[in-house]
Amino acid sequence: MSSTPVYIICSPRPLVGKTLLARLLAEFLLLKDGSVACFDINLKEPSLLEYLPRITETADVMDTYGKMQLMDRLIVNDGIAKVLDLGFHAFDEFFKMTHEIGFLKEALRRRIAPAILFVADTDRVSARSYPTLQEQIPQKALITIDNEYVVRGELPAAMATGQVLRIPALPSFLKTYVDRQSFSFTDYLRNERDSSTELHQWIRRNYTTLRELELSLLLQRP
Amino acid sequence: MAKPVVIVVGADKGGVGKTTVSRTLLDYFSANNVPTRAFDTESPRGTLKRFHSDITEIVDMTTTSDQMKIFDTLSAGPSVTVIDVRAGLLSPALASLRDIGFLDAAKAGQITFAVFHILGPSIASLDEIAETANFMQGAKYYLVKNFINDTQFFQWDQATYNSYFHRIKDATDLVIPKLNEMAYEQVEVSSVPFLKFVANKGKDDEAANYSFVLRGYVRHWLANVWSEFDRIKLTDLVGGKSTTRGGEK
Repeated sequence: MSSTPVYIICSPRPLVGKTLLARLLAEFLLLKDGSVACFDINLKEPSLLEYLPRITETADVMDTYGKMQLMDRLIVNDGIAKVLDLGFHAFDEFFKMTHEIGFLKEALRRRIAPAILFVADTDRVSARSYPTLQEQIPQKALITIDNEYVVRGELPAAMATGQVLRIPALPSFLKTYVDRQSFSFTDYLRNERDSSTELHQWIRRNYTTLRELELSLLLQRP
Repeated sequence: MAKPVVIVVGADKGGVGKTTVSRTLLDYFSANNVPTRAFDTESPRGTLKRFHSDITEIVDMTTTSDQMKIFDTLSAGPSVTVIDVRAGLLSPALASLRDIGFLDAAKAGQITFAVFHILGPSIASLDEIAETANFMQGAKYYLVKNFINDTQFFQWDQATYNSYFHRIKDATDLVIPKLNEMAYEQVEVSSVPFLKFVANKGKDDEAANYSFVLRGYVRHWLANVWSEFDRIKLTDLVGGKSTTRGGEK
């Protein structure tokens, strides 16, 4: 049986584009596989649940019961890709818990393929958190997300050593457009006949990047 | 022939986690292939027996017949005997052991005797140390700080802390970290040893369906407890051999 991917999108900082990436990834997987399960662990930020309510459920990692509800789902090799939108407030608690319960080891044993997508920023909190993740997560499973809209220049050197996935910045008027709760990337690709529009190109480029990411993870799996 | 080993786990105060520590000891010896038997003095209804029914017998330590059952069979059975002494019975039990000459035998080196004195985060519990220490000549005396909550064991008040923990010269401190409450309760409900819970097994080794998260918490906690047992060289004390433990494979 092939392994089940679990994408964990995270950053210790708010408003760096975690939910945008989670939306892109979820819609891409839904388009490709026909199914995806999303988990929204955001209480204080724009929420994935508001964008994709039919495939998203909320989760809480601040108490043990919430952790059980979430992690016992993530550790199941059911062939359905999982996308986790991890709010900045839950960053420390989540990774403390995964370390304690041995999530990555157990994932390997059960043929679950976690990919931690760390949305980079140039601040001190991000610089401090990244090495903590490096200690816990194998290099091939830790991917830095270079969101051009946030980083606006060179990535911090420490975060550029492993695999980096770049999301080009959208002009502000288009960002406002995609931020509408009713907006769907896949619907836009399907319905917009002019494939030369900037947004069309942007979505297609990101879907291609995500496909490449998926392939690279697939090739690394045992 | 190896010397018999008797480990008494107890406290006069209740609710400090005596049986929990006894369970970790039985799991530790099991993982290190040290043949062990246990006595549960919570007569007539034993808690330890519920978790380790195959090696545990319920006894009433205040009766002579049950004292004979434990101490007259030390050389005949497995090398290690763990006695989980119920609340309020530690001092009387040690007095009985003195009266029957058991403590003298330990002092003479005929028996290896260790006491795990389980301490809770209260003055009442810590006050037991001085009384228990009177019986500890010839015994290995372990002061077990069991973190059943987020206590500091008075470390914020050095004078109080030192008056309890640095007064008994030959006592060794041992720390049992706090286990996640929900994980603890789930093991309680399951009524299986911690090791079986971690391995996701039921009472009769059948496959179980315990939460992965809770199993992870128990595994992490048990590893910390066992590292404390390793630190005090518990396997050396009981004459066991250093082995690769099941849980570490």
